[in-house]
Amino acid sequence: MVNQSRRDFLKTAALAGTAITGLSSKTKAAPKNILSEDRMGVLVDTTVCIGCRKCEWACKTAHDLETPSIEAYDDRNVFKTMRRPNSKSLTVVNEYKNSVEEKFPINVKVQCMHCDHPACVSACIVGAFSKQENGSVIWDTDKCIGCRYCMVACPFQVPAFEFENALKPDIKKCDFCFERTKEGKLPACTEICPVEAVTYGRREDLVKAAHQKIKNYPDRYINRVFGEYEVGGTSWIYLASREFEKLDFPKLGKDPAPGVSEAIQHGVFAYFVPPVALYALLGGVMWINKNKKKSENEEI
Amino acid sequence: MKTRMLILFIFCALIVNAQTQKKVHPNLNGITCKTCHSCDIPTKENPCVIPCPREKMISIDQSPEEGPSVLTIDKFKKQTDIYAPVIFSHRLHAEMSGMSGGCKMCHHYNPPGQVIGCSDCHELIRKRTDVSKPDLKGAYHRQCMECHRSWSGKVECESCHVLNGKKQDIDSKTLVAKSEKRIHPKIIAPTILKFNTPKATGKIVTFYHAQHVDLFGLECQSCHTNESCVKCHAKDKTALLKAKTTEQKHSVCSSCHNTKQNCNSCHSNSVQEGFNHATKTGFDILKFHGKVACSICHTEKGKFTGLNSECINCHGKWTQENFQHKVTGVILDETHLTLECKDCHQEKNYSKPICSGCHEDKSFPKNVPGKLIKKNG
Repeated sequence: MVNQSRRDFLKTAALAGTAITGLSSKTKAAPKNILSEDRMGVLVDTTVCIGCRKCEWACKTAHDLETPSIEAYDDRNVFKTMRRPNSKSLTVVNEYKNSVEEKFPINVKVQCMHCDHPACVSACIVGAFSKQENGSVIWDTDKCIGCRYCMVACPFQVPAFEFENALKPDIKKCDFCFERTKEGKLPACTEICPVEAVTYGRREDLVKAAHQKIKNYPDRYINRVFGEYEVGGTSWIYLASREFEKLDFPKLGKDPAPGVSEAIQHGVFAYFVPPVALYALLGGVMWINKNKKKSENEEI
Repeated sequence: MKTRMLILFIFCALIVNAQTQKKVHPNLNGITCKTCHSCDIPTKENPCVIPCPREKMISIDQSPEEGPSVLTIDKFKKQTDIYAPVIFSHRLHAEMSGMSGGCKMCHHYNPPGQVIGCSDCHELIRKRTDVSKPDLKGAYHRQCMECHRSWSGKVECESCHVLNGKKQDIDSKTLVAKSEKRIHPKIIAPTILKFNTPKATGKIVTFYHAQHVDLFGLECQSCHTNESCVKCHAKDKTALLKAKTTEQKHSVCSSCHNTKQNCNSCHSNSVQEGFNHATKTGFDILKFHGKVACSICHTEKGKFTGLNSECINCHGKWTQENFQHKVTGVILDETHLTLECKDCHQEKNYSKPICSGCHEDKSFPKNVPGKLIKKNG
């Protein structure tokens, strides 16, 4: 309840702010930050992914980011280094050695997990971030002030900042192709994937399908669906043939990440402790100095 | 009246149902409808098939010639496509699958009847509600990549596809015609294989491959059930030399031979002779029984002992009436035709006849009791 009131406060503050400065703020019909039962998700089957990186190409093309030709993505030398999503590539595929079947390396696609209880939404001080009804976690560029709290808060370290853009830097991350899905299209990566290693569907159905796969092929998968419970559940969920931690997935608990960041923030700011403490400290310093001066004067 | 009509109707329906069942599934040995169907009476409209029972499936195999020779996979052709449709040499691939599971290697859901194509189960449109199985595009690619990855280790699209708009050296019509002619070259089977095993005593196993095929009448698929394409088509042969467990090594033989006991029947310190019925048992089968399958005489499965060389074992008692003497190469003359078999053949295997019972001065084969003919084979 505390969370909600804080968010409402920020939202109204942001709205009031924009109203005062005369900027128009788009009002969306869909309810924000409330988990819908029909929210969508993606099931990533890392045992199926072949590392063709067509998703990377499709993502860049869909988001008007600079990209080499599609043929250039056949070059597997990129797998020599581990990559992370950044402001120029919102999704990347990494490759891990398969000690059991050398011919079948393990490829893992990395992008925003679109948490059910996103830490970025909670951490954003201007309410630019929101969890949409369809599951995607997006942000309003117009509201963003570039504080980069979202980057610090994210348990997956996904949001990236356009440091190279000095004049109007923006936060960049996978937006679950919000503009495409709004038009009834599929997210670009799930549409292009030749082997359908990334399956788009209702999160609930995907979780069920994932468990069915584990049941049907116990030798193929470890008995865990990453993202089902991690940090309170994510819209993107993963299946793998080995421990997720070995594939550079972070070790996370089941509690939603905002629980941690909000507890610190709320704790610090509760009952106006920091300003009161600051003024008390400053007052104390002044009082000591005053006393010091007084005694010095008296000595002379 | 109504109830009678109803009973009659149900009766007719059951008969029709029973007949169609026979027609759709001709060879159902010991399998109930419920193995594959979830409802009581499956119909063509609602077959209520249990989703992909990959294990314990009743599966059929068809010869590669029965399937299409070339398929142009253009079911999801769109203007915006990056790649042109694939011209898939189905027959060539079917031939290659012969030793690695047959049709079901790709047609993993392959019940009796006509072979089921991928698009019968996998949806054409990716945006769908049933996410339990991949869409058609995903299903196709998964099947292809499973082998192609282990074969070439590469995943680049252009090994099968042509980039749209890219100038081709060959147009698709010519490519289809070319693919139609492509068949897998005849596999040259080895005659003898000598295995050097790590066993201390009995290091060498001599395997007479040709004999297993020609003499024992085994089909390729009897032993080669799960061969990977890579076994022949590996670009990197070192990947094949992976350590196998003793059990894995013996698995090919153990379906017929007891590999847990009698190591010496295969393992030896020197190269062994091939199987020869005459030297092994004293009964030369090549003379008259060369084309007879082992199981005709050795009726009990897996048991090859207990028979002796007496003809009576299999044939019963020979008489002049039931035996065509000319198969031996000698047509008896009228005089000898009236005699009993045992008058000349006193041994139980009816070997060389004895003339001395009647003729003092004659002997076989110097004298022939009739006409000598040239034997066939």
